[in-house]
Amino acid sequence: MDEFNDNEITKLLRLKKYEQPPPGYFDNFLHEFHRRQRNELLRQPLWRICIDRTRDFVFQFNLSTLTSSPVAVTAVLVCAAILSLKVYQAPQPATVALKERPVLAAPASAEDEWTLASPVATRVFSSRSLRNMTESAQTHRKGTPPRYVLDSVPVSYETTFKF
Amino acid sequence: MRRLSSSSFAAGFRLLAWFASFAVTASLWAQQQSPEPPSTLSLSREVKEVFERCSKAVVKIQATDQHGDLSGTGFFIDPMGTLYTAYSVGGEAENINVEYKGKKYPAHQLMADLRSGVALLKADLASPALPIGNSDQLEIATPVVAIGYPLDLAETPSFGMIAGFDRKCFGGYFPTKHLRVNLPPQRGEGGAPLLNLKGEVVGILLYSFENNSCYALPIEAAEKLRSDYVRFGEPRYGWIGTNVQEASAPIDGSRAVTSEVMKGTPAADAGLKPGDVVLQIGRTKVREPEDILEASFFLTAGDAIPITVARGNEKITFQIQADLYPASNTRLAAPPNLNHAIPLNLQSAPEGTP
Repeated sequence: MDEFNDNEITKLLRLKKYEQPPPGYFDNFLHEFHRRQRNELLRQPLWRICIDRTRDFVFQFNLSTLTSSPVAVTAVLVCAAILSLKVYQAPQPATVALKERPVLAAPASAEDEWTLASPVATRVFSSRSLRNMTESAQTHRKGTPPRYVLDSVPVSYETTFKF
Repeated sequence: MRRLSSSSFAAGFRLLAWFASFAVTASLWAQQQSPEPPSTLSLSREVKEVFERCSKAVVKIQATDQHGDLSGTGFFIDPMGTLYTAYSVGGEAENINVEYKGKKYPAHQLMADLRSGVALLKADLASPALPIGNSDQLEIATPVVAIGYPLDLAETPSFGMIAGFDRKCFGGYFPTKHLRVNLPPQRGEGGAPLLNLKGEVVGILLYSFENNSCYALPIEAAEKLRSDYVRFGEPRYGWIGTNVQEASAPIDGSRAVTSEVMKGTPAADAGLKPGDVVLQIGRTKVREPEDILEASFFLTAGDAIPITVARGNEKITFQIQADLYPASNTRLAAPPNLNHAIPLNLQSAPEGTP
């Protein structure tokens, strides 16, 4: 306030006396006022807006009347039953499947083969195989189907015209 | 008058009825006598008959080679269990077994020829045999049937037609012309018989070509090898010792000009010279160098063959006894006691050779 003395204020008010709003200002005044009011309301966080809306919605009904109604009670009970059934039938999380014993790995005897490094529990497979190379080669050979023969190129070509 | 007209009307009616019944009978008889028009149904019936008659002589061949177990197809050609198959099936394999009527019979290799791509096997059993046809009578669009064992499935017919007679494919020359057949081959059908609609073997399925085509060796070529085996115990391709190249212009209708005559060979001994234009080998007329391959394939070492050449303004016919093909890729796998080779004196000059 030290920057402005009475003279300066008087001079400013004199100037303001001749200040005029732009044409159409008062015609649009109400609309502009509502727009700025909505903007002010929306400056709140989203969660607060949601809570306010929900509270307004709920309290516009007369709850005491609703609780005495048997239809409303039945509806609430049915909704609760459906929700509980949905939750009960939801698939198990993936960690359960991962804990299944793999076929070709060694049995999980050591506790330290489980790691909690990631949020999903995974298993570190043992590097020790169940069969040695000779055994697996034999079984692979017996199990694989034969080579079904039909060549795609001739087994030999004539190189020159000789006879 | 009225009575007369009514009786003549009745007679006319009877005559008309007689003519009508005659016309109907005649048309029915003509319909029976006329050949059945070709239809999909009749073709299907023919293929089915061929399949039912011939599939008994077609067998699955199982064996082991350096790459592991293999499975292919073969077919009996005599009642003693001799069978043809592809070289890739029975050429380099061991522990060969033939599956016939649900049982496995051991088989051994009589002959395997890399040049033609076929192998001759024998299983010790009394077998049905497919009749051998004449592949020279085949024409473009002749219908054919192949019977093979695709994958691990049962015997399967495939129907198609002759699409061409090729000497060259995939950038190389076949040793003899091959039958290009428009039928869909499948893995495991290597060595399968190619049959005409009489049920005669006209080829051996060897290579697939694109998706719905394949190449088959004409049965004449395979029979040449079997004839060699019967005579000598092994394939014996003939060779006279010349190289041929394409001439810039045809001379007497041939572009096959002799570029080299190797020393000490039957051709050199007979008097053939570089620059001679080959006109005929045996019964085969030569027009292009490719014709040489066709004629050369059917040459047998030890046999005398007339070869006509143009030299200058004259035509000369040489009677040349062929020597053994030097780069022969044949492989005799039969035991020594099965080798009935006849000793040949290939060094002696044949009579009548100029």
